[in-house]
Amino acid sequence: MRKSAFPLALALGFTALAGCTGQNQAHKDEASKGSEAVKQAGDKTIAADLDPNSSFFKAAKAAGLDATLAGPGPYTVIVPDDAAFGKLPQGSLDSWMKPESRAELTRVMTNHILPGTVLAADIGKAIDEGKGKAVLATMGGGTLTATREGDKIVLTDGDGHKATMANTDETLANGVVHRVDTVLMPSKKA
Amino acid sequence: MMKWMLAAGAAALAISSPVLADKGGRGGQGQGSQQAQSDRGGGQKQQQQARGNRGGGDRQVRMSRGGGDRQVRAQRGGGDRQVRANRSGGDRQVRAARVDRGSDRARPTRVVQDDNRGRNRGEIRTSRNDNRGRGNDRVRTENRGNDRARIARVEDNRGRGRDNGRITQLDRRGDRDVINVRDRGRDRIADFSGDRVFKVRDFGNGRVRFRDFDRDELFGRRLGYGVGGCPPGLAKKGNGCMPPGQAAKFIGQPLIAASRFGALEPLPRSFNNLFWDNDDYYYRYGGGYLYRVDRDRDLIDGLFPLFGAALIGQPLGQRYINPYYQPSYFNAFYPNSPYDCYRYGYGYVYETDCMTGLVEDVIPTYDRGYGIGQIMPASYSYYNVPYAYRSYFADDDDYYYRYAPGAIYRVDRDTALISAVAALLTGGLSVGQPLPVGYSAYNVPLAYRSTYYDTPDMWYRYDNNYIYGINPRTRVVSNVAYVIV
Repeated sequence: MRKSAFPLALALGFTALAGCTGQNQAHKDEASKGSEAVKQAGDKTIAADLDPNSSFFKAAKAAGLDATLAGPGPYTVIVPDDAAFGKLPQGSLDSWMKPESRAELTRVMTNHILPGTVLAADIGKAIDEGKGKAVLATMGGGTLTATREGDKIVLTDGDGHKATMANTDETLANGVVHRVDTVLMPSKKA
Repeated sequence: MMKWMLAAGAAALAISSPVLADKGGRGGQGQGSQQAQSDRGGGQKQQQQARGNRGGGDRQVRMSRGGGDRQVRAQRGGGDRQVRANRSGGDRQVRAARVDRGSDRARPTRVVQDDNRGRNRGEIRTSRNDNRGRGNDRVRTENRGNDRARIARVEDNRGRGRDNGRITQLDRRGDRDVINVRDRGRDRIADFSGDRVFKVRDFGNGRVRFRDFDRDELFGRRLGYGVGGCPPGLAKKGNGCMPPGQAAKFIGQPLIAASRFGALEPLPRSFNNLFWDNDDYYYRYGGGYLYRVDRDRDLIDGLFPLFGAALIGQPLGQRYINPYYQPSYFNAFYPNSPYDCYRYGYGYVYETDCMTGLVEDVIPTYDRGYGIGQIMPASYSYYNVPYAYRSYFADDDDYYYRYAPGAIYRVDRDTALISAVAALLTGGLSVGQPLPVGYSAYNVPLAYRSTYYDTPDMWYRYDNNYIYGINPRTRVVSNVAYVIV
């Protein structure tokens, strides 16, 4: 017994060391990806990347956030596609675009903007470390809950609407864009 | 055996330490971290500088708002006076003003034109004999109404060095109203009109309050941009000011009814994307309001107050307060004073009179009121953009930038309307606080990921142009690692 303990302990020590080294290598790899992404993004901003005819961009402009998305950032913008806006109750978008509904529109739009640059892998890692879910703060003061469904990441708003992240990690000079299939509404409690 | 195991573990750690220190420098919070910062070439110094900036910047920012507030409050405390209007035969009582006369000593006479409220066209003249040599301070107010002349006189026989806490009675000749004036400081200016409109100016506090006894409406407006306490951009054009209740009465009336209170104009072209004319409606603004006019009937169809004033003068009902939520910045930005009590509810900050409970001001927080097309309150009259953003947003000839909780706003100089949200900001993190819910995901900007990446000993999170170090075990913000400027 006494003879076998030393190699075992030594093996455990080296295993831990190898784990740390592997983790560090993974971080280095991620960091190098980030550097590459920054180079690729160039000077193109989130505002320039969005289709000016898309419902999201029109709504962002109506809320005065087009300048924000063209500014220094960085932000993580979750962009519902046009089909997502089409799933809203009839007339919702038209109603939001009216001047008197601007406050409501602003609440909806800022619910899709997160502080900093959060890549899909970052959300996935947070889900794994958070026992299956990760809470993400939005610039509107609310939160979104991220979970996994199969190999997809799903974001759930305060009212239970679920949006699946599709095209992710469009890296730009002032942040990153993820596309989703549902409009995420702010919680009515705040 | 235990000894051998401990020895093996120690050996493993000893071997691993250099590896940790070699991995880009963010190996640990302790020595590893410091080593790494040294490796970056002045990294430690940079970090210390960052911390200093953070502390100073944060303090500076808060003080520039809170401090400004405190300064105002200091003026109130030192030079304030409360005017109490006690209407005869009724128990309606309102604290109408706290007056600071400090900046007006060089102007012994002040004439204020009543803004033509229809029934009371009298000119209000206020004169003051600054008779300090005899320890006397007199405010004489005359109202030449169209029915009868009234003189309201304030006698303040205070002596030098004991001018705090004095209560002065104001008797309005020819009227049974008695107005008690509590003098808590040295200076004041008080304007009183006839039997319908009670008007007090509080220059030191940067606001003007009006009291209309007939309609029981009180509203306050921030002073600082225009003449006569009108919202910014309006007095400049010669427009008048109007209480909210009066403006609401214009709905259903021709536009000319509203234009009597001041010239109405189309919005500048730059705001056409916010309030656009179409086949059904067109917009005009003036007097602090935006009017939507129905083209078919040529009548005012809608009204948009360009500043928050919905509940002013009314008691603050509990239904407006959210007892379960309050923004983290609230207490720092809106500290209570003996006179003003601040409450938060559902996106609005309510400034109430601590004694009467009446709402004195409604301050919408971001996304509930402040937004493009709204007037930036004149209380944001100084450049207060957080330091980390100043290199991005500097005032120029066309626009100026102001920070209010939630965002940095770009404001059009000509109209004082918010023309864009320049940047969105969170409530902010601070060293020593637990990491808020919602920051579990790594969010450091790509350009900084090669330096600040999560390790078992230290996490990094981005917020408002700061990168913070987080202790993974305690989940407490342990330091400011870097400031992105």
